[in-house]
Amino acid sequence: MFSFLLIIHSLLAVTLLGALTHQTISVWWPVAKRTGSFISSVRSVPSMTYTNAVIVLYLVTAVFGAWIYTEYRLSIRVTLQDYRMHVPEGAFELKEHVVTIGLGLLPAYWYYWRQPADAAHARTRAIVTALLAAIVWYSFLTGHVLNNIRGFGS
Amino acid sequence: MSNISRVFPVFAIAFAVIYIASVYFNLAVLTYHPQLVQWGPLVEAPKQGPAMYWYGWLITSAAGSAAIAALALALPARALDRACAVLVWLVPLIMIAVIMYILRGYFLR
Repeated sequence: MFSFLLIIHSLLAVTLLGALTHQTISVWWPVAKRTGSFISSVRSVPSMTYTNAVIVLYLVTAVFGAWIYTEYRLSIRVTLQDYRMHVPEGAFELKEHVVTIGLGLLPAYWYYWRQPADAAHARTRAIVTALLAAIVWYSFLTGHVLNNIRGFGS
Repeated sequence: MSNISRVFPVFAIAFAVIYIASVYFNLAVLTYHPQLVQWGPLVEAPKQGPAMYWYGWLITSAAGSAAIAALALALPARALDRACAVLVWLVPLIMIAVIMYILRGYFLR
């Protein structure tokens, strides 16, 4: 059961990671004229359209994460402590907290991306998006490493 | 909606601060005992297996920051908007640094 939920959580996280990465690249490194190359295509995505998808994906991924978190506390964390794997344990503790700070950031993220886009908030919009992307990247990589240590089917 | 949404950045700022304070001082409004599949009010000691406070911290932070955001509706919109444009990313960044410092023991053993 928890392995299935973990896979769903991972797939949602991959989708969220892709959406936020695209949006961050397009807002920090926009392209003036689309050339048709892969890099140009990535830079020229309509970043505004990602906002609602990012919020929904973040919330749903967090709900699945909160659900499987009980299994982490009961089975996985104990193993990490038994094997004195303090760095992965600490990395996951940090993930728990930065993801929550990201959760609280979502209403502000929506506010700065609401239409019509306010030019005065362009810098804030870009930084908030990059911060959320950094949180999701860190969380994804930490979750991936923890899954490699003791995840699927354990 | 636009009137309410102008305090969304205030919610984000307050949420980051209250959440880290909740973690540090353990201000959970409820406790979950996963081994027993049992919820309890406020902070309870572990009964059988670990006690989980994260859900309680989340509710504390959401309720506290919603209250602060509601109060911020009384502040002048323009000044609030200007202050939030920086604080909305700076405060969460500082709070992440604070939690890294709190958790430093995991990485320095």
